[in-house]
This record gives sequence, C-alpha cells and structure tokens, in this order.
Amino acid sequence: MSHKKELNFEINILPILDILSVLICFLLLTAVFVQIGTLDTKQAVGDNSTAGAKNPPSLWVTMAADGGVQLSLRNVPKAKVLESRIGKSTKGVNWEALEGKLKALRDQYPDLKTSVVRPEANTSYGDVIRVMDHLKQSAFEGVGLSPLG
Amino acid sequence: MKDALALGGGGKKQSLLRRDLALALPLTSLIDAFSIIVIYLLIGTQNGGMETQVPSRISLPMANHSQGVEKVAPILRIEKGNYFLDDKRIAARDLTDKLAEIKKNSEEKDLELMIQADTEMKYAELDPLIKAGSLAGIEKLKFAVVPGK
Repeated sequence: MSHKKELNFEINILPILDILSVLICFLLLTAVFVQIGTLDTKQAVGDNSTAGAKNPPSLWVTMAADGGVQLSLRNVPKAKVLESRIGKSTKGVNWEALEGKLKALRDQYPDLKTSVVRPEANTSYGDVIRVMDHLKQSAFEGVGLSPLG
Repeated sequence: MKDALALGGGGKKQSLLRRDLALALPLTSLIDAFSIIVIYLLIGTQNGGMETQVPSRISLPMANHSQGVEKVAPILRIEKGNYFLDDKRIAARDLTDKLAEIKKNSEEKDLELMIQADTEMKYAELDPLIKAGSLAGIEKLKFAVVPGK
C-alpha cells in the first residue's frame, strides 16, 4: 500500500518544452514575411479642365509591347531634341539605357518633374510598374498612367 | 555525490526533496521558450504598417522606390480579367458607379485606391480601372508592390 503512495504523477514537461522551442524555431525559419509597399500615382480626373491652364514640363513614356520605349518631351521650352527612342533588348525593355536616359534628362532639365506613362494594350503590367519605379528613382514627382486611346 | 546519498535515504524527507527538484528544473526551458516567443512577437510587430491581405496566387511586381501602407484604402484586385472590390466581385461596366459610390460615401477628400494585380497581367486589363477611377474622380492610385532591396 505504501509503495502506491510514492508513485510520481508529475508530468515531465522538459522534453515538451524542448520540442515546443524547436517547433517555434522551425516556424520562424520557414515563415515567409511578405511586406507590401505601394507605388503611388496621381491620375488626371474626368472633370479636370485643361483649357487655359499652363501645363508643366512633362515627359511622356510610350511603351510598346515588344519592349521598345519612346521618350517625348512636352512643354519644355528649351528642349532641342523632343523625342528619343530606346530599342528593345533581348529580354524586353532595355533597362540600363532607360535609366541612363532618364538621368540625363533630369540633369539637363531640372524643371522636368512630371511624367506620364503610356503603355500599349499588350504591355506587361510588371514592366509598367518597373518603368514607374525608374521614374521615381530619377526624382520624377508626379507620375501618372495614361489610359488606352 | 552528497545529493545522490540524500536521495537514496528514503522516507518523507526524500520525497519532499525530489518534489523540490522537479519544480526547480523546468525554469530554464520555460525562460528559453518565453524569450523565443518574445523575439517572435517583436519581429511580427516591428513593421508597423497596416496589414494587407494578398492572395498567394497573385505575384506582385517588385519596386525599389515604394512606400509603406499607412492608411486603410479600398482594395481593388484584378484576377484573370475579373475585378474584386474589397473581395467582392464586380463587373467591369459597374466599376465607375461603384468607385463613384465609394468616393461619395468616403469622409476623406482625397480618396486613395489600392490596386493589386499580377505582374504577368496585360495593361489592357488595368485600363478599364484607370478609366473608371478617372471618371469617378479618384486621383490617387496606389499599386501594391513587393519592396525591393
């Protein structure tokens, strides 16, 4: 009878805690923390009248579906070359050439802060976002998207 | 050695000593487990920004110059030509009316709209939304992206 009273009913929680800590470490290592950001654009709204208003100097980026990009300057009084074309590369848009051209334009025309992106219907959304990202990188403050004609 | 002798003695004293030992031992593991949980919570809360749900089937484009999500904005998701406004499917022809209704009911003057779309999507699928947003008077569009390095 006395032997029964000495039985140890305590649960050994040490291995349980060890397993738990290993599990937590495993979850921490395998978890994917996806942080989301946003790329902001300012669009022209339907009731905005442009009649009589002075448009700021702007850069229009026309994107072809095959990766070709055309840059056009508008309302830039001192601009000598109004249009410039960047040919496509083997992977699509020639990003290095575009970045260099945007940087050169910003250096040449410091007042050039507005840009409008005009993609074609078959242009990839990822490429459109990447062009807008490059424009933001080149310190263009107002970046907008043009609807299809 | 002394401890072993004391434990081997038997009787009431021995059982008390065993119980004391059993209570004292798990503390180290407990502290370990709690410190791991605290680190886990710290990692989870340091981002600060708003939590935004993005379906795993959507692969967001990457952008290096993105901004954090700080405000709650209506989310418009585009999936294979279908439009979902706050997870509610709406037809393309109803986009303008729905957005105008949201703008009308919103307390904010400059209503922002967050757009979630797959990086492989064609621009033609985004175009109805750009037009609808313009007609509804929504100036600020925020494109959801994955912040780059």
